[in-house]
Amino acid sequence: MKKPASKFLIMLFCVFLVMGTASCAHSVDPKDGAKAGINDPFEPINRGIFGFNNVLDKIIIDPICRVYVAIVPDFMRSGVHNFMRNLTSPILVGNELLQGDFRQAGVSTARFVINTTAGVGGLMDPATSAGLQYKDADFGQTLGVWGFGPGFYIVIPVLGPSSLRDAAGTAADSYVDPVRLWAFNTHRRWIYYTRLGVDYVDQRSRIMKAMNDLRANSLDYYAAVRSAYAQERRAKIQHRKPENVDIPDYDKGAKQQQPDHP
Amino acid sequence: MRALSLTLILALFLFGACLPANAKGADSPAVAFVQKLGDKALTSLTAKGLPKAERARRVRALLEENFDIHTIGRFVLGTHYREATDAQRDEYFKLFENMIVETYTRRFQDYSGQAFKVTGAEPSGDQDTMVSSQIMQNDGPPVDVEWRVRNKGGQMKIVDVLVEKISMSVTQRDDFDGVIESGGGKVEALLDSLRKHQVKLAK
Repeated sequence: MKKPASKFLIMLFCVFLVMGTASCAHSVDPKDGAKAGINDPFEPINRGIFGFNNVLDKIIIDPICRVYVAIVPDFMRSGVHNFMRNLTSPILVGNELLQGDFRQAGVSTARFVINTTAGVGGLMDPATSAGLQYKDADFGQTLGVWGFGPGFYIVIPVLGPSSLRDAAGTAADSYVDPVRLWAFNTHRRWIYYTRLGVDYVDQRSRIMKAMNDLRANSLDYYAAVRSAYAQERRAKIQHRKPENVDIPDYDKGAKQQQPDHP
Repeated sequence: MRALSLTLILALFLFGACLPANAKGADSPAVAFVQKLGDKALTSLTAKGLPKAERARRVRALLEENFDIHTIGRFVLGTHYREATDAQRDEYFKLFENMIVETYTRRFQDYSGQAFKVTGAEPSGDQDTMVSSQIMQNDGPPVDVEWRVRNKGGQMKIVDVLVEKISMSVTQRDDFDGVIESGGGKVEALLDSLRKHQVKLAK
């Protein structure tokens, strides 16, 4: 049990080293019309994996999600969603503490206690009605709060968009996940894998509409998804004060220099 | 155990009291502008059984009246604006507007029984106001939408829309940039793709 742990730590350390150097080159002035602040040096490979994921979506995941949404009633789907979300509470609180967001760590702890008890094991979410809003947190975000840049963009097979930093974060989160540790230590791995599968279908069925909308309304779906991913992650890292992209006033100054274009 | 649960209930109320009211600048004219636009869009664009051409006409009218299409279009073209010839720019603006009209005509067609409410406003820069709003959905949690409203000499126009913190202008810009990059850095590649997109949608 000890050996893989140290291997994992060494791997994580290497990733941080790379990120430390990669993050220097990441600040981009949005006015420059550059991409939404994420490097993509492996774009051809990423596009390949993205294409593969798209085919997978179309032939397997989309149909599963459609059936799930069609045959499972609304209240049961939100039950599944609440239950899955409640299970992530320890990871959530841990990351919020690491980010120094003690207020939200308190909110998440209270949510966990209330939803596990009054919410019947997490199937319901009375905490939200009581004004305790859910917020997500992950180790990739924590690293971002600590000042690590995203490194570069990665499309992971099946899982989709990520970055060097966020992929390391995902690995770290699942490594310390109490549910995983418990399932693995008690030889009930199937519980963990079942949870992964259910979680995946739950998440995907929630964003299915938005993804199909973006696919239909973009010219370069890959570039649009990359942009949305980079923006979403950046907003989550600066969650208190989201960075506003400045839209320049083109009419200012343009009047003196050149006749403004119709 | 009892003490713990008591503490938690107390903590719950404290947190509830601390939640921000988010009503800063709620009386700004930009708020009234966005609320009016939202209400108008809901009543005139989401009607069921409206012929597609009529819905598209209404979307275009509302778009031209309330959005600064030229600023948005130019931002979306990014640095490629400078490389484009006058003729290319003309065609680009036309195609870009058509694409937005098409997109939103379809979106409003599928839109059903949802409500819209402005939740706050905050000044941004010297001429913009960020107006926050929520769109209630029948199937799912409310969607946060922010509107960047620019006051140009007393006239208000929207220059960007952020859905769940994702800027539509930035996403569109990166989308178009992807097309131009793949097409060897030529603006013509984008125009071609926009033309094809239009033909595809018209079918």
